[in-house]
Amino acid sequence: MILELKDIQMSYTNARKEVFNLLNGVNMAVEEGKVTALIGGNGAGKTTLFNIISGVEKGFHGKVFLEGKDITKLPAHRIAQMGLGRLFQGRQLMDDLTLMENMKIASGNTMGENPFDCFFRFKKVAASETAKEQQAIDILIKVFGDGNKYLDLLNHKASELSYGEQRLIAMARLLMGNSHLLLLDEPTSGVNPKYIEVFQQIIRDMVEKEEQTVLLIEHNMSFVRNVADYCHYLDDGIIIKSGETHEVLDDNEVRKDYLGL
Amino acid sequence: MEYLLHIGIMLCIYIILVLSTNMTVGMANLLTLCQAAFYGIGAYIGTYFLMQFNLPFVVIALIVMLATGLTSIVISYASVKLKGDYFILGTLGFQMIIYTILYNWIDVTHGPYGIPGIPSIKLFGVWSLTSIYAYFFFSVVLAVVVALIFSRLQHSPYGRMLKAIHTDELSAQTLGRNTIQLKSWAFFISATFASLAGLIYASYVSYIDPTSFTLDESIFIITALFIGGIGSRVWGPIVGAAVVVILPELLSLIGLPNAVADNLRAVIYGIILIVLMFYRPQGLLGDAKLK
Repeated sequence: MILELKDIQMSYTNARKEVFNLLNGVNMAVEEGKVTALIGGNGAGKTTLFNIISGVEKGFHGKVFLEGKDITKLPAHRIAQMGLGRLFQGRQLMDDLTLMENMKIASGNTMGENPFDCFFRFKKVAASETAKEQQAIDILIKVFGDGNKYLDLLNHKASELSYGEQRLIAMARLLMGNSHLLLLDEPTSGVNPKYIEVFQQIIRDMVEKEEQTVLLIEHNMSFVRNVADYCHYLDDGIIIKSGETHEVLDDNEVRKDYLGL
Repeated sequence: MEYLLHIGIMLCIYIILVLSTNMTVGMANLLTLCQAAFYGIGAYIGTYFLMQFNLPFVVIALIVMLATGLTSIVISYASVKLKGDYFILGTLGFQMIIYTILYNWIDVTHGPYGIPGIPSIKLFGVWSLTSIYAYFFFSVVLAVVVALIFSRLQHSPYGRMLKAIHTDELSAQTLGRNTIQLKSWAFFISATFASLAGLIYASYVSYIDPTSFTLDESIFIITALFIGGIGSRVWGPIVGAAVVVILPELLSLIGLPNAVADNLRAVIYGIILIVLMFYRPQGLLGDAKLK
């Protein structure tokens, strides 16, 4: 298992000192080289769980293991360096940066990001910049094909792209790093239907060709059915049902409580 | 002529100060209110070394910058982790502490009496900058070098990461970047160059007292930055510094008494800032906005 969550519990106290349990002992495992979907209603705790896995949220009990290593107390950047990539819900590329800059900041190669490098190691910095540019171009070709339009937009600000296109590029740029496990939080949310098939293809290619593992949160059930190998149903802060995607989605309890069928 | 050269020297000092402030405020999105504290630390440490040792400028500058940089590391350890308004309050606290120390530690700083008779800079340990012409050319060269250093930093991979942090710090963290460390570097660099400005100021005016390094001075520097513009272009801070240094001189030239000109100057800065925040929040030549 590439990722294991053990007895994750989290609660918060409101201004009136009332305690609310958000996660009530989540146990979950993600198999390497597969696409796993995490489904559940709004407020079930899915994004909170992603925040816990990626180190953004620390106020919880339980243990998180990435490739067998305990990452429970590590900060977000250390977890990312260990091979975890994340696509946020609602966040996409960085508006003020060009497409190429957006790709470069995701690179696993951090040469030049120390302020003194540009004065004392400028030849190495120049070489690594060239390498990053080539890597970005290779990834864009691999994901979107030869001669795709993004190759002509490399020096344009990300804000010039549509929301859906930014989500696509944000997902593609996860390949710039050293990630083995990708957390995708509602990748198709707010995206034009014409891009959904593209997302589906990219995710399958990431797993089958790039040997990535994907854990995704998604409300689009046909998308989940088409792309995910396994599925976990989270309700009221606990995993109610886990298994192969069709087993979970066809389960009577899931159909009744979540899908309303 | 000497009057114009004096304005030129002060302009160069403020260009260095505003450029250094842009590193934290414009690039790293850290709205700091303690730039005058670092400016003051540089001036006082520089004064000590100028008065006690016969060292070349480069050596004194390195000592001053390193000492101030180390101080900034202590401050940044505590404050860079703070978010938004809390960071601002943290730097305000530091500014107040430094001012209080400069004002009350009379044995060392001479407190409100100040320190007179600060010697001029000696470029190579022997050639002393005694004339205003020499100071002018020296400060112009230094301001140009500092501007080139900041330009290079801002267009380097490090500058790109600061830009990313400015836009979306959380995403930068989940892309594997230690944003606290990157921001601490920005704070360090900013403090070191502010202290360099302090060293030049102290040696040029040959007298310092704590009133030159108050919270008002920090706000004044920030005002210059916001007028000129924040972000990755060095021209914004340069223009901002020019506006705040030259404007009071223009008011004096039109014959206003100093007391009136001082107050009018503050009102004009205020009006410029308000108008800019409405119509051009990134400043005259800036390319970024505060988040």
